[in-house]
This record gives sequence, C-alpha cells and structure tokens, in this order.
Amino acid sequence: MSASVTNQVAKESFGSKDSKLSLLGFFMALPPILVLGIFIGLPIGLAFFLSIGYTGGLNEVISIIGQDIRGREGKLFTLQAYKDVIADPRFAGDLKTTLIVSSVATVFVLIFSIGIGLLQRLRGGKLSSVLTALSLTPLFIPVVISSWALYTFYGSAGLYRTIFQSFGLDIPQITSTMLAVIIGSIWTSLPFAILMVTSGFQSIPNALIEAAQDAGASLITIIRTVMLPLALIPIIIVATFTSIGVLGSFTIPFFLGPNQPTMFGVEITNFFTAYNRPQQSVVMAFIVFAAASGIAISYIWANFRSAKESGRV
Amino acid sequence: MRKNKLVSVLAATGLAVATLGFTASTSHAAVFQVRLYVSADTNVENLYLKELIPAFEKAFPNYQVDLSSFDLHGKNDALTLAKIIAATKAKKDAGFDVIDAGFVQQLGLSGYLTIPTTMRVPNLVNVPASLIALSKGGVPYRASTVLLAYNSRVVAAPPKTLDELITWIKANPGRFTYNVPSGGGSGYAFAQTVIDKYLTATEINTLVTEINKPLQAKWKTGFDVLKSLNPYTYGKNGTYPSNNAATLSLIANGSIDMGTVWSDQFLSGLKAGTIPSYWKVAQISGPALTGGPAFFGIPKTSRNGVAAQRFVNWVLSPAAQNIIVGGSLNGYPVIPVTLLSEANQGKFAAGTDISTLRPGYLSSNSTDFKNQWALEVPGK
Amino acid sequence: MANDVQPLNLHTKSIGVKAILLAFSIFMLLLIVGPLIWLAVHAFAVEWIFPSYLPTGWTLEWFRKVFEVSALVSAIKNSLIISPIVVIVSAVICLPAAYASARYNYWGRRTFLIMMFASNAFPKIGLFATIATLYYFLNLMGTIVGVIIVQVLGTIIFMTWIPAAAFAAVPKSLEEAARDAGASKFRVFRTITLRMAMPGILVAMVMSFIYAFDEAQGTYLVGAPSIYTMPTAMYAIVETYPVQVTAVFSILLTIPSVLLIGLARKHIIGGQLAEGFQIK
Repeated sequence: MSASVTNQVAKESFGSKDSKLSLLGFFMALPPILVLGIFIGLPIGLAFFLSIGYTGGLNEVISIIGQDIRGREGKLFTLQAYKDVIADPRFAGDLKTTLIVSSVATVFVLIFSIGIGLLQRLRGGKLSSVLTALSLTPLFIPVVISSWALYTFYGSAGLYRTIFQSFGLDIPQITSTMLAVIIGSIWTSLPFAILMVTSGFQSIPNALIEAAQDAGASLITIIRTVMLPLALIPIIIVATFTSIGVLGSFTIPFFLGPNQPTMFGVEITNFFTAYNRPQQSVVMAFIVFAAASGIAISYIWANFRSAKESGRV
Repeated sequence: MRKNKLVSVLAATGLAVATLGFTASTSHAAVFQVRLYVSADTNVENLYLKELIPAFEKAFPNYQVDLSSFDLHGKNDALTLAKIIAATKAKKDAGFDVIDAGFVQQLGLSGYLTIPTTMRVPNLVNVPASLIALSKGGVPYRASTVLLAYNSRVVAAPPKTLDELITWIKANPGRFTYNVPSGGGSGYAFAQTVIDKYLTATEINTLVTEINKPLQAKWKTGFDVLKSLNPYTYGKNGTYPSNNAATLSLIANGSIDMGTVWSDQFLSGLKAGTIPSYWKVAQISGPALTGGPAFFGIPKTSRNGVAAQRFVNWVLSPAAQNIIVGGSLNGYPVIPVTLLSEANQGKFAAGTDISTLRPGYLSSNSTDFKNQWALEVPGK
Repeated sequence: MANDVQPLNLHTKSIGVKAILLAFSIFMLLLIVGPLIWLAVHAFAVEWIFPSYLPTGWTLEWFRKVFEVSALVSAIKNSLIISPIVVIVSAVICLPAAYASARYNYWGRRTFLIMMFASNAFPKIGLFATIATLYYFLNLMGTIVGVIIVQVLGTIIFMTWIPAAAFAAVPKSLEEAARDAGASKFRVFRTITLRMAMPGILVAMVMSFIYAFDEAQGTYLVGAPSIYTMPTAMYAIVETYPVQVTAVFSILLTIPSVLLIGLARKHIIGGQLAEGFQIK
C-alpha cells in the first residue's frame, strides 16, 4: 500500500482529532492487555521487588532456595543486590560484549537485508527470488538446531577449517568467540529483517522509481533519495527488533560464544540455574531491560515523528 | 462456507481438548502408583524406561511406575526444588513420590524428606553406612565415577597421577579439555579434583558434608593452576565445551586426545559406536577424579509414601543392582560387589569398594564452586 | 491486500556492478544455507573425523534412531496439539483488540500499543524466578493451560499489530456503501472487512504458529518435567545424542518449512508485515 493511500485510510478511520472516545473499543482492546498485565506485568513487578530485597509474600520460596539473597537483614529495601552485580568482575565484560554483539549484528543485518531487498525490488530475476525465499528458512528452524548447525559449520571440524587444513594451514576455530556469536545472531535475525525490508520496498510504487530514472538519476541516487527514505519505517523496525532480540538472546551465545565474557542472556540463566542466585539474575534482567527500553523509546519516537510528518497524527 | 469452517474449527478444538483431558487423567484405582522424578542424563532415562521399570512392574504386577517427569541435565532443578518445598510447606502432595536429582541432599538437610528405615526398606542393610550418611536422609542407589578418557593410538601410557596429567596437558597443547563445571559433572569433577589437591583431607570432608564459606578461600591455589592451563586446553584460548555431551562430541570427531568423562556415558558411547573403539579410560590418583552415588529422596508429603519405599527397596536388591551394572547404564552398584551376579562381579577389579569413590562437595558449596570457577578461570 | 508489484529490472551497464551483485548473492546464499547443508550431510554420515571432506561412511541408520526416541514422538504430538490451540486462543483474545485499535478511538489506545511492545522488550529469561512463583501461586505449573498461556504471551504482539493494520487498510467508504445498501453490521463485517483483512490475519496466524511451535524457554520453564513440546525435547536430544541426530532433525524441519514458505510467500512478502508494526 502506498503511503498516500495509507494516509487517506488513516484519516477516514479516525476522522478528526476529536473523534469521540469509544467505550466498546476500550473493552475490546482490554483482553490482551489484561493477559499481558497478569502474566508478564505481575512477574516483572515481583522481580523488581525481589531485586530490591523484598523476600516475603510470593517471593518467599525462591528466597529460601536461592543463595546470596540480599535483603534478609530486616531492612525494607536494599540496593545491595544491584551493587553486588555491578561490582562483580564479570559484569563489565558481559555488558561490553552484549552491547557490541547487539550493535554489530544489527548493522550487518541491516546491510544484508537492505541489499537483498534492493536486489529483489530493483532487479528481480530468478537468483534474487530464490535467495529471498531461501533466506526465510532459518525462520522455521528452532534456534537450538540452528545453533548446532552453525557450531558444526564454524567449529573445529567445520567447513572452512577443513578447506584450509587441506592446504596444510591450521587456522583457529571461530566458535567460542564473540565473532561466532555475531555471525549466529545475524543468521537468526535475517529472516524477519528480510521480510520487513522487502515488504517495505514493495510498497514503493514503480512510478516513483521510474520517474527518478527518467529524470536521469543514477542507481545510487535512486537508492539514496527514493528507496531508503520511503522504506525508512520498516528499516527502523528491523533495527529495533533485531537489537532488542539479540540483546536478550540465550541459545546462540550459549552454543557459539566464549564462556566468559558472555552475553547477558547466558549470564542470567547461569546465575539462576547453575549458581543458584536468582536475585542477581533478576537484577541483570532489569539492567538489560533498561538498555532495551532505551532502544524501544527511540523506536517509538521515530514512529511518532514519521506519523506526524506524513500527517497521520 | 464460512459457517462450516467455523463449525469445523470448533469441533477440532473440542476434540483436541477432549483428547488432552483424556490422556492427562490417571485413574488407576486398583493399582499402587509410584510417581518418579529423575533429573539426570539420557542414559539414566533409558535405564528406567527400558530396564528398571519394566522389571519392577513384572516383579510387582499391582504396581505402576510413572516416569513422565524426566529433566535433562538438571536444567529445571531450581524450579522443581521450589515446587517441592512450596508444596511441603503447604502440607500438600509434592507431585512426586521418588526423586532422583542433585538436590536431594538439600531437601534432606532442610527436613523435607521421609527418612527411610530398615523396616520399610530392609535392603538398606547392604548399603555402606558412609554412603547413607552422605545422602542426608536420602537413599543412595547407584554410583558413577568420572574417569580420564584417552586415545590409545596417540597416548601409549596414560598419566597415572594428577601431576602427570597436567604435565601431559602442557606438553600437548590443545589436545585435552574438560567442560564448564556448571554445565556437566565430568568437567566439574576435573576442576574440583585440581582444587582438592591443595586441600587437606579434613578440609575436603568438611566441604562435602556441610556449608562452609570461609573454607572456600582455600580454593585460590587450585584455581590459579586451572587458570594456568588456559593456553593448553582445547582451543588454547580459555574456552571450554558447555556440557558432558560437548566433550564427548569432541572425542567423537577427533578434536582432542584426552578428556574427562562419566564412566557410564563413556561405556555407553563405546557400545553405541559413537566413541571410536581405540579410546580407553583410566583413573588417576593424587587425588582421584571424583565420583559418587546418586540418591533417591521421598518427599514427606507424597501421597504414595509406602509404595515409594517398596520401589526404593527393590532398586537396592541384587536383581535391580545387576541391571544397573550389567545393563545399558554400566553403572556402579551401591551394594557390595560380592552380592552381584558372577558376570557382573568380573567387571570390577578385586577389592573395589564403592564407598571409596571420592564424592563431590555438598550442593551449596558446589554451586559456589561453579560460580567461582566462572569468575576465576575462563578467558583469563 | 497482496501487492503484486512487478519488480523493476533496472539494468546496469557496468560489468563491475553485475559482478558485485552476483558475488553478493552467492555470499548470502552460502552464509544462510551453508550451515544447513553442512549439517544435513551429517545426517547420512557414519562417522566424520576432521579434517576429511567427507564422512567415513554413509548410512540411513540415524533416521531410524530418531523415531525410536519415544520422548520425541510424544513431544511432537504435544506440539501439534498445543500450537494450534495457542493460535486460536491468541486470535480470540487479540483480534477484537486489533479491530478496535483500527476502527475506534478509546482511552489509552496508544499506551496499550506501547505497553505491548515494551513487554516484549523485557528478557523473559530474567523472569524465570518470578514467573515460576506466580505460576505456583495460580497452580499453573506443569499444566497444559500454563504452557498455552506462556506461548500466547509471545504471540500477542503478532496477533494484535498485524491484523490491526489489515483492518485499518479496509476502506471505510466500502463499509459505508454496504451499510447504505441495507446490509446489517455483522454482514458488513463478515463479507467486507474480514474478507479484505483476511490475508493479514492469516500472516499473523502463521507467524504466531511458528512462534508457538518454536517456543522453548518459557515452555520448558512451565511444562517440564511433565509436559514436553518439540523444541524442549529437542534441546535435550541435541545435547545428548551425536550430531548426526541433530542433522536428521534439521532435515525433517527444513522441508515442511520450505513448503510452507512457498505457499504463503505471496502474502508474507506482499507488504502486510511492514504495515503492521507501526504505531499510528
């Protein structure tokens, strides 16, 4: 759907800004919010209280089993758990690793998905269609299988090592490094990104591109001034969802990454299951959430900005 | 057309829900039921599903053992533990009658287990007293030990002591590894063994039997040794495979020539052909790699307590212990070797005493250990 | 509305650009498909020792072994029953909200959308402890209802945002014209609105199904050790059996998914997805 039609539809749907508030609409919209509120909102609240040291009520059983729980000393709230986590020597390394992997993976996902999207939209042809379709395959494969596929491929007995070994070269394996986690994160995030970006490029009318071509613009100029700006929203969506997804990921860094420093998803699980420190794991989750919220806020801001510009608000 | 679609969707949903409800119901009024919860590796699951449970149900036709609750690698230990404690505190049925998991000791220490007596579990008399003391209210029923696996084509004579092993590791960079202690017992055993070398026997015993944080400061020497091995283990960069299976797969594809493995997993792998036939195992000394029993625990509030004890008693009988030793598990028994069948007796060197297996630390100390290892060793 | 936009065939005269495009395509193909093919070959391998290019022998043994694993068969059965239920439950909860979001203006409309988005941003792994606590309290631990709820949670964002865009794209003028012609409100909804929004709703259902089918962490948390779905059983199997077994799985899973993509491709790439993820 082209942007102009969307605008018109939006205006028709909502009319002027002061359309009356619908009670029916409110109740229809309530169920998913209620479900999320109870089953995610409440646990987040409980987790927050656990992280600041409230060990009573629903947090009681976890507090009995867990080790190193801060907050039993009779005080109402304590930030000791947060201090523990930040002071832990692993924290700084994990934070750096998580942020680096997330940003590098997002950049490359954008490059690859835009590349494939442009290829599909501007050239078409058998090869790009096959490529676009095949690139969706990782979507259906459970991430644990994907991790093993990547681990086997890039590992010590993997393809590229085998190739080099036949030339007598013994190059180090890629697995158990940050690079492998980046490659793995790109691999699993690509399908959704390609879907979004190709869909975004699809909504650009041929007329616009052809007009630019007739006006004598080069390919690069067309891409820069027509394609990218009009598909900006899907591209921002890809950037946001990919970075948030990679930020909290577990399976890929667990199988492909080094033991330390690792990404927060793995560390949170370690602290909860292996080291039996549920309070610290919850603290780390909130820190990741803070980072993810920062990304989310910029996404929401970008949405409103573009909605304002295109007259939908 | 649309209405038909709606009807068929509703019908399908109704059918699905009905099927679920049907399969979920367990109505066996005339039969005694024992609900088993096992948290271990797949070879133990096979032991139960294919060997122990059928044999027990054959010997006691009016009993039915239910192993629908199997947790791999203890991933969900923390949650199951919470579930049992919460239920016991509320004096409700815990959901399981017999538990085989790493947290049985913890449950026993907190008083949530039924202490077995020789009245209900007569076969207890065959179990060495030291093992019973270790279980803190549980019942030991099988044992395993971690051994050093080596490629006999490359390693003519395996190292006999820990010192020799470390020398070999440094002389053959990248050809040895152990998994992350928090991921699997075989790697945990190696790490704890290195640390134990620098502790006295009394200190080790304390850590095995009680929670003791101050003593943990003595782990530093051992951790420094482990850290010094980082450039020499597989990968040569201070990274380690994540669990038991990862080590075994490195053995299978020829990436390493030596590694620490669970005795039962190794022997099962040899039998299945996934581990090449020229691999062998050996134990080291000074100190030896750890091993030890697995424990049964019967929650206090379980509603089939009597049936549970009957099951536990049977597992301690020579019939069941023969299955554990001679069947697919290739495990160690907890009753004296002399009570086993002749064929099984031949598997053990003369004078093998299971109670001399070096046990791992008490659960709280071992979680602290796993945490410390992650702080001190990888990537340094 | 599926968009059959013809891709332009912009020709470039320069061979250099053509070469770059070809190299890029091949690189991406290798990157994406390479690991899958490498793993798939393992499915037929007896033993494969580094650094040989090929396994020592070929066999179909592993395929047989996979189906012998009884836990897996019951896990697949569970998945095939639970995932569709999750999609239906999610549709029932979310589609009215999607319609409301597109057609009505009500208090908190944008806040609701943002809250949905925010709840997705919190790493669920960090909620293990407290989700478990809540579920014990509600007696949902280890129940099928609990597993369904956990999976529904992740599908809400798909089932609300994408259909909302689909509903919003139905021109109101069409609906009004039908009303003027005398059709009842419900008839209008059924024959015009729902029909035009159906492709978008189907896309949402496919994405939700994939999510539910593939959901491992939350299901493991709530369902284990009594209820196993396919991905949770797979975690266990992949970590225990030799890599050949994992390879068999990858083949068994790739084939139906390639088929599904082939069928739904027109709709998925047709423009629905991008429209859905905006806050209007």
